Amino acid sequence: MAGTLEGIYDNLRFALQQHTEALAELQEQASTGSKVRRASDGPVAAYEILGLGSQVSSLQTYMDNSAEVISTLEISSGIISKMSSNLSTAEERMTQVVSGTYTDAHRRTAAGEIDEILEQVVLLANWQYSGRSLFGGTKTSTLPYKVQRTNGQISSVTYQGSLDGRDIEVAAGVEMPAFLVGDALFRSDDRSTPVFPESGGTGAKAGTGTSTVRGDVWLEVIYEDSNYKMRIDGGAYVTVDGTGNQAVTDLDGRILYVDSSAIDSTGKDLVRVPGTYDIFETLINMRDVLQDGDAEQLSQLQDKAAYAFDELKKLLARASVFAGTRMGSLGQLKDTVENLKYSAAEEAGRLQSADIAEVAMEMAQRQILYEMSLAVTAKLLSISLLDFIR
Amino acid sequence: MDSFSIGISGLEAAMAGLNVVGNNMANATTEGYHQQKIDFRPAYSTRVGDIILGRGVDVGEVARVIDNLLEQQILEQRYLFGQVSQELDTLRTAEAAFGGILAEGTLGTAIDAFFNSLQDLSSYPNEQIYQTQAVDAADVLANQFQTIANSLSSLENRVVLEASNTIAEVNILINQIGELNDKIRDLELRGGEASNLRDQRDQRIAELSALISVETVAREYGVVDVKANEVPVVTGSTVTQLKVSLRSGSLLGISVLDADNYSTQLEGGKLAGLFTLKNTLLKGVSSSLDTLATAIIQKINQYHVQGVGSDGSFSKLTGWSMSSADLDDFVPAVSDGDIYFRLTNQTTDVVSRESITISASDTLSDVATNITNNITGLTASVDSSNKLSIEATGYEFDFSPAVLSAPTASTLTGTSSPTLSGTYTGTDNDTFQFKVVGSGSVGNGTLKLEVRDNGGAGSLICTLDVGSGYEADYKLHVADGIYVSLSNGTLTDTETFDVKVFSSTDASGLLASVGLNTFFSGSGAASIAVCSDIVTTPGRIATSLGPEMMDNENVARMAGLKDELLSNLSNLTPGAFYRGIVAQLGQKITVREMKHGNIEFMTQNLKNRRDEVSGVDINEQAAQMMVFERLFQAMAKYMNVAQSYYDTLYGIL
Repeated sequence: MAGTLEGIYDNLRFALQQHTEALAELQEQASTGSKVRRASDGPVAAYEILGLGSQVSSLQTYMDNSAEVISTLEISSGIISKMSSNLSTAEERMTQVVSGTYTDAHRRTAAGEIDEILEQVVLLANWQYSGRSLFGGTKTSTLPYKVQRTNGQISSVTYQGSLDGRDIEVAAGVEMPAFLVGDALFRSDDRSTPVFPESGGTGAKAGTGTSTVRGDVWLEVIYEDSNYKMRIDGGAYVTVDGTGNQAVTDLDGRILYVDSSAIDSTGKDLVRVPGTYDIFETLINMRDVLQDGDAEQLSQLQDKAAYAFDELKKLLARASVFAGTRMGSLGQLKDTVENLKYSAAEEAGRLQSADIAEVAMEMAQRQILYEMSLAVTAKLLSISLLDFIR
Repeated sequence: MDSFSIGISGLEAAMAGLNVVGNNMANATTEGYHQQKIDFRPAYSTRVGDIILGRGVDVGEVARVIDNLLEQQILEQRYLFGQVSQELDTLRTAEAAFGGILAEGTLGTAIDAFFNSLQDLSSYPNEQIYQTQAVDAADVLANQFQTIANSLSSLENRVVLEASNTIAEVNILINQIGELNDKIRDLELRGGEASNLRDQRDQRIAELSALISVETVAREYGVVDVKANEVPVVTGSTVTQLKVSLRSGSLLGISVLDADNYSTQLEGGKLAGLFTLKNTLLKGVSSSLDTLATAIIQKINQYHVQGVGSDGSFSKLTGWSMSSADLDDFVPAVSDGDIYFRLTNQTTDVVSRESITISASDTLSDVATNITNNITGLTASVDSSNKLSIEATGYEFDFSPAVLSAPTASTLTGTSSPTLSGTYTGTDNDTFQFKVVGSGSVGNGTLKLEVRDNGGAGSLICTLDVGSGYEADYKLHVADGIYVSLSNGTLTDTETFDVKVFSSTDASGLLASVGLNTFFSGSGAASIAVCSDIVTTPGRIATSLGPEMMDNENVARMAGLKDELLSNLSNLTPGAFYRGIVAQLGQKITVREMKHGNIEFMTQNLKNRRDEVSGVDINEQAAQMMVFERLFQAMAKYMNVAQSYYDTLYGIL
């Protein structure tokens, strides 16, 4: 057979080296199941795989965030439902009291029940989940509602949380509020013109200015020193000047604009400011009237309580719908994000995974070539003229 | 007696032929050996009468069977192979430093984990567990950068060391080639045969070509001159040695030993591979890694310096040591601009804002003096290691851009007072001017506020209705996240109030440059670290921008950097830039793997061709051996016949 010893050796070495490298590569693919294990195995695929891996990690964070927000909103929604239920109980109690014939003792018992409900509502509004206040907006570490008590009873509830909601990113560029702003949920913010008694009152009507008082306000008109004087909620008296837009200020500096031109008698008017009710103030106000109110106040409350409860129930229903809608859309978003994540992971897997059947076939092919290289070399070296020289 | 002479010449020729065959067979597996062939010529003839008679055979020369063009091609492939092999091996090591695709614990996963941890923190900015998680993720990120940077640096050092070792090998081979040239010329001048020495010399040249690009020029008496990288390193027996050294810019350079005429360019051979690695490839990877680390450091710090963490404002801040006290020398660069301090009086809780003006030509001491002299309640100093410290007395301070609740300027004379709130989302610092239109009580009549930017000189942004229908103290949106509310009271026509809004409270970039309220320290991949203040007090992570310091605005925008196209990263996100580094490195390796395979294949082909021309075929040699054996037997027989002829002749006589 033709060929130099050096040439035969070199060719064998070269062939074996090629086959060994190929077999090592195939063995690595077979043992790891991956055809791209490092960037040099396929730079373009590696770039894609790294990007998809990063995307999967980011989407997982979004999914975790969504789950966290949904969980928080579920708790919040449950609390809002519970508050709504408490409010219904309070409304029932009020209706029973103001529409029936109740003694003072019965009224005080009812006031005690309203007070219990108020305590419950405050407790719910200050509810914490995993140590975080649910209704304090961005201020999650402190209780959102501060309570002041007089003789052991709640006399005022002040919101001290943040007015900004805590938005959490649940998808690229999509933020959802997880921690709601109690002040926006439990207080109406759709102010309308104050409603004065249409008849049988003092004759006061709504002024043209935009008032800042909220909920139900008691306007008291007295006659003193030949003048009518008026005040709201224990504030300073102002002399009625008979104009169409007279400001009356309460103890907190809030103003009720009154058209005093038709005031012609003394008394107490319950002025209702639709769209401004606060769940806590309403309950406090009703409890106080039931507890200490006079017959006139009770009489007016009978007419107006239904409006207040109706507005507050609508308020809580809106909050509940808000939370429910958010949960619904978040659930859908989470499913979408999850699908995207699985698609990204699947695509990364497709780019990265080795075709095991193909690897097995290539390995068999290489093995045959390896054996052939050895066999051919052995054959080349086995026949020589030297064998025939005697 | 010519018959005996003829017989002896034939016997000698057969013996010489057998010797050549033996030599060829003995070197059948010697690398670089070229088959030798003996040249027979008819001996000088004599005329006997009209007849010209031969006088036997002369042995001409024993010469190597060699194709010089082919040999030159093999040399070229050798030095290309040497370069590519070296580059490939080293780049594979560099690639290993980055870890496998999708493996845990790589820089890529650390970048993702860091930004994801910031996103988690943006959900719960005041909670220690998430603050600690963010610090841990940042620490892992910094460690990953440092590990890869150190690996690349160590690899570069090994490349330099390898270049020194290689040049030593080059010099040894140059010496040997010179010595062999000398021996070959001596032998061939004396009429000797130097094929084996030529093979030895050519083998040295082949070995040299694997280390450095080589050109050869054949001269008389078998001498070959050699140029390495265009430098004549062997001229006959005279040799010129080479040296390598690190030059400016940490570039590898090569020069003649006795001169300092360095070149940083080399083509071909292992040494060229080392030069390319040190001067271009590894430097490029290290530079890209530094660019990425620097961009993350600067961008995170740029946001971080303006924010406030759950631990609140500061009573004291200290920057890091600076190598120079001149702002001109700082990296990142400091430019002319104002720095705004937000100060909270510890006694009255009154919040105010004051500023200093920075000039790029200032020194740190100038800045310290500026702060001490112009900001009430603050004292600044610079220590011997150029650390800038700011300390508050009776105040706390920060650099938050949160809008102050009170106007920055006002001509209002009525009883209503405005309150500002919100976080400015505009891109440039601005001053909004509010002008009252109409006179009267808030919530009554047709009172309005006209809002203009640029301190009132700009365009009308909006008109706010604060007359009838406006509830006092209700927040009205102005623009870009800013709100205003008016208390009950009166306003007077044409009176104004101004509000400064900030997208940045440090237009100079000084804070990030000197390490005041920064998140990361360091200036590149090798030095990046989480600031010690942040490590020891994770509540210092500046998560918020708002006045209440409970929001997540700042940490959200830091987390958002993950998807931000950064100009100093070629308009790529940090993740994409990282992927680019890894993929480009992989691409370089792939290209070299292809080159390596091609050169290997081509070299093998050329060697096969050389084997066909110059290799020793045992069978061919065996056939020749038989021929020479037969020749010897024939000539011996001829001698017997001649002897018999003479014996017969003597018998007649």
